[in-house]
Amino acid sequence: MASEGDDAPVVGRTGTLTAVRTDLLDAGPGGTSAVFVTGESGVGKSRLLRETAHALRDAGAAVLSGTCLDIGDASPLHPVLQALRRAGVQTDTGPVDAAANQDGAGVLLERVSQQLRSLAQGRRLLLVLDDLQWADRSTRQLLLYLLAGLGEINLSVLAAVRSESLHGSHPLRRVLAELRRLRSVRVLDLAPLDRDATRELVAAIAGQDVAPEDADRVYKRSGGNPFVVEELSRDLRDGRVELSDTLREIFLSRVDELPQHAHDVVHAVAAGVEPVEHALLARVLPLPEAELIEAVRAAVAHRFVTSAADGYRLRHQVVAEVLEHEVLPAEHAARHRRYAEALEAAPSAVDHARLAHHWRQAGEPARAMPSVVAAARTAEQLYGFAEAHRYWSMALELGCDEAPERTDLLAHAAESAHRCGEHQRALTRLEELAARPDGPGACEIHLRRARYLAAAGRSATAEIEYERALAFAECTSAEQATAAAHLAELLVHLGRYADAGVRAREALELAERADGSTADLVRASAALGFSLAFREDPDAGLAVIRQAVEIAERAGHPDDIGCAYLHLAELLTGPLNSVEEGVLVARRGAEKLASIGLGRTYQTRLLAIAGNGLFRIGDWAEAEKVLDAAMRHRPSGADAVELLLARCRLWVGFGDVAQADRDLDAVATILAGGGARHVLPMLTLRAGLAMWQGRHAEARAAVQRGLTETRSDDLVLLGVLAWHGLRAEAEAQAGGKVPVDPAAVRRLQAVVERMARGAGNAAPPVRAVVDGYLDLCAAEQSRIDERNDPELWARAAAAWDRRKQPYPAAYSRLRQAEASFARRPGRSHRGRAAATMALREAYATTRTMGANPLAAEITAVAARAKVALSGDEDTVPMPMPGHETGDELGALTDREREVLAAVAEGLTNREIGQALFISERTVGVHVGHIFDKLQVRTRVQASRVFLRAA
Amino acid sequence: MITDSVWGPVQQDMADVLAGHPDDVPAVVDQLTKLQDVLDRVPPLLDSNPLADFNKLYLTITTSVLERLYAGRFADPAFLSRLDVEFAARYFDALRQWSDASAGCPRAWSVLFHRIPGPDARPLPSAAAGVNAHINYDLPFALVTTFDHLGSDPVDDSDQHHDYLQINDIFAESIPGLRRGFLEKWQLIIDTMNGDLDDWWQGGLIEYTRNVAWRNSQKLWCVRHDLPALGRERARLDGTAEAFGKLLMSPMGALLQ
Repeated sequence: MASEGDDAPVVGRTGTLTAVRTDLLDAGPGGTSAVFVTGESGVGKSRLLRETAHALRDAGAAVLSGTCLDIGDASPLHPVLQALRRAGVQTDTGPVDAAANQDGAGVLLERVSQQLRSLAQGRRLLLVLDDLQWADRSTRQLLLYLLAGLGEINLSVLAAVRSESLHGSHPLRRVLAELRRLRSVRVLDLAPLDRDATRELVAAIAGQDVAPEDADRVYKRSGGNPFVVEELSRDLRDGRVELSDTLREIFLSRVDELPQHAHDVVHAVAAGVEPVEHALLARVLPLPEAELIEAVRAAVAHRFVTSAADGYRLRHQVVAEVLEHEVLPAEHAARHRRYAEALEAAPSAVDHARLAHHWRQAGEPARAMPSVVAAARTAEQLYGFAEAHRYWSMALELGCDEAPERTDLLAHAAESAHRCGEHQRALTRLEELAARPDGPGACEIHLRRARYLAAAGRSATAEIEYERALAFAECTSAEQATAAAHLAELLVHLGRYADAGVRAREALELAERADGSTADLVRASAALGFSLAFREDPDAGLAVIRQAVEIAERAGHPDDIGCAYLHLAELLTGPLNSVEEGVLVARRGAEKLASIGLGRTYQTRLLAIAGNGLFRIGDWAEAEKVLDAAMRHRPSGADAVELLLARCRLWVGFGDVAQADRDLDAVATILAGGGARHVLPMLTLRAGLAMWQGRHAEARAAVQRGLTETRSDDLVLLGVLAWHGLRAEAEAQAGGKVPVDPAAVRRLQAVVERMARGAGNAAPPVRAVVDGYLDLCAAEQSRIDERNDPELWARAAAAWDRRKQPYPAAYSRLRQAEASFARRPGRSHRGRAAATMALREAYATTRTMGANPLAAEITAVAARAKVALSGDEDTVPMPMPGHETGDELGALTDREREVLAAVAEGLTNREIGQALFISERTVGVHVGHIFDKLQVRTRVQASRVFLRAA
Repeated sequence: MITDSVWGPVQQDMADVLAGHPDDVPAVVDQLTKLQDVLDRVPPLLDSNPLADFNKLYLTITTSVLERLYAGRFADPAFLSRLDVEFAARYFDALRQWSDASAGCPRAWSVLFHRIPGPDARPLPSAAAGVNAHINYDLPFALVTTFDHLGSDPVDDSDQHHDYLQINDIFAESIPGLRRGFLEKWQLIIDTMNGDLDDWWQGGLIEYTRNVAWRNSQKLWCVRHDLPALGRERARLDGTAEAFGKLLMSPMGALLQ
């Protein structure tokens, strides 16, 4: 960059530059790092970015630079796509894949990551982004996705943010507040220079012989702002006697000194969208080539404009702000018109965001309109619904009420507002749409209004709207089916299962009569299935959803298939607690979609359900495999968070602190962009991890925060939190290092009481889970009260055995044994025998799962109590003893043992299926697992192991 | 830049407290408690200066919010917790900016901060001036950030709106002095004012200003992507809150007590 050769030296920033470089190279566990530089305008942020980029490039990093635009409505991902283009990468922004609507946003993120990866070629990639305060929502989300490590790039982000922008309600304010808690992120506030550094800079520019009082005056006037210091020093050097008082005056006097054509160049660049390409400038300023180049050269020499390969920029934003006030409105409009015309005349593809900006500034709304609409469509193709919504709204402002296209614009504006979460706006636009004579029919308005209301959380009003659609004579049966199906779904979410069932049946009847859509059928079936299951008729519920799966498979649309499988798997693993079967269904659904090659989002969600289910039934090795497979789909957003949380749960169980920390950081990074739903699971995991590390105060803080953010009707979440909280206090009590916090205990007790009251009114499937947590809480409470009661622990163990969840059951057995051993010895021989047995059983379970921290505690308790966990655990860690059916079968679940017994009898898979009331396919999967666990290859070998053990 | 120690002998303690960035309501209460301890030691008037008086009230209110959160009394606790944290963050930011003598410190707050060294102001109007800056200036922005973060928007009559209104009760419980018995005096002050400030007055002061804050947040919500428009709105809110704060800190404010 030729024009930057005369830059003043960087003064007073040596330490900062080194620190930034170190921070950028010191990546966190996810392989990423970030430094956000905040500071006032002119304090030297861009300079710091440039210097650091040079240094890192010299150190072998790949460097990409982009700048966010202040035209208010840049196209989605602008700075990153611009950075890629500057590096010579072809960025195709066309639609991702029309057939993969559900997956589009994720595919887009992955495509950008792919381009970044191929550019990095295994090196560390430094992404430099200036003026991040102007970044659009899509860019912010991409950054968080990449920083969470989901793009699998060794990425360092260096971004500058104007501190003025962070006051008020700027979204980055929140993002930075969350990110600064992470070890791999630094938010650096760049302060003005101090008196000494200012003197040094003055001397560097104006010479060593500057009088100290002149230097001090520069310091006072500039407040240490290096940009101002530089300009004032040049005044000093050039002998301008009176130091100008304001930046404005400095610049205006300089502008006046420019030759006429150079003057035009500066104004033209100021009106353009940077960087202004030379060819574009040539069209805006129709001077002969030689004269234009001469003029640009003068503008650069006078330090107003910088020149780079991709075009011209103003040296500093301040210049644009000063010039803005000097321009007459007519001049302003004329310049923008020239830009707009020049852009339209350009042979290259039109940048609609840019064109729209210039036509609007030119005061030509009618000519801006086509570009605004085109920009809205482009934004939608890039899944930037927030940006699209702004363009649609802009189009509405530009057009008049009578315009025929207004109806269409309103429809788009309402839907895009709905999709980006602007509920109030969506509803307002919908009312305007409803008032249009050529608007959609009243029935469609009712349906859309209901959908928007439900999304805005106004369930009662949404319910009324759906009912109106149902009662409305003009609605077709198909539309009524849609209304009833959505209403049923809403009622399930509200926990009104009986009403939901009625509406779902109505929807199914209507859909059958009217030959309604498969999506409605699936939706209604799912609602009916859940309503039946919650009202203690699980078999009927199951049958309904199974039928929906069949219908979806026959219709063949991947979204319907995915949705139907998802509901079936959720029903099985949730209210019905047939986790094993739910896991099989989820995996089968994922396989089916994979074979069609579509529905990536649903595949990911199904695998997440399978992974969570496998975790619960204690098949952790398999859970890890499934979650790895799901992560290979490169999920983004909420789906990514779900998977990371599921995987982190596994790491906490395994006791793998480093991996757990990495995934928790990744979750926190994505959540910095917004969302509340996943905060609580994150806090629970944080508490669980802290407890294994003996950091009880940290666990307590996580739980207390969780309690303040959990809805009082969410009994299961409260149960998990209360148990974690009481366990942390109990362990603090036992550890003796951190004192028990009586206030925290009191609050936890209050929560437990609330849960117990709520459990009475809860649906049976919910009550079953809550009861399990209540048992655990009661037992932990006895530990806090120093009357650790083995009976309470035995009860908790039995409850979790009934839930078929070996992990909490094993934990309870450990505590049961611990409590028994702590009682006065010799009081009951039988008690000690029972405790030993419980401990051995817990040990066997934990070893099979790989629950290392829990196994270690068991070993410690056994050592204290002088109990042998097995005869030979010192020499052969596996297989585990303990289960009555024999050592070698300890790794098998109850179900697998049943299947194995049948295999040993010589039954075929079909016969076994009939005998055990499961499908032949399910039996096949079980047999596969059995072979894996026993490390055999044939049924004969498996039978031999079984007979030997039995 | 003007002076190195705004807080005199407690400068370091203040810096230590303000180094924290609480991210949940228990941590906010903790930070306000520590702040109270520091503020009570600010000279020249130990145990009583305008900011200490405000902080004490704010601590009481936030503690009540926390108790209600623990008791499960809000429909959308995730929203209310986030709002509370965002709200407090702005107070801490203003204190940090004041400590750094930064030009970014809102004028609405500077009015109160200026009076810390004296002349003496009565506790009630001091606390009210802090409430004024915090509600009329900080609250609308805190609301916008909270909604933006949660992917939702300020919809009237929503769960969030009802939770938000519950806070009015807490204010009413915590500031008995601003309740009915004193309203005539308020009316007297307001009557002597004209223009913008008249709008602040109607019925219950806190209830009204909190409603204004909700309306302002809806206004800000609509322009939140338009940085220049947002900047203008910010300057307007700051100016109005500053004027009202000045009034409260003037001898007329003493009429309240």
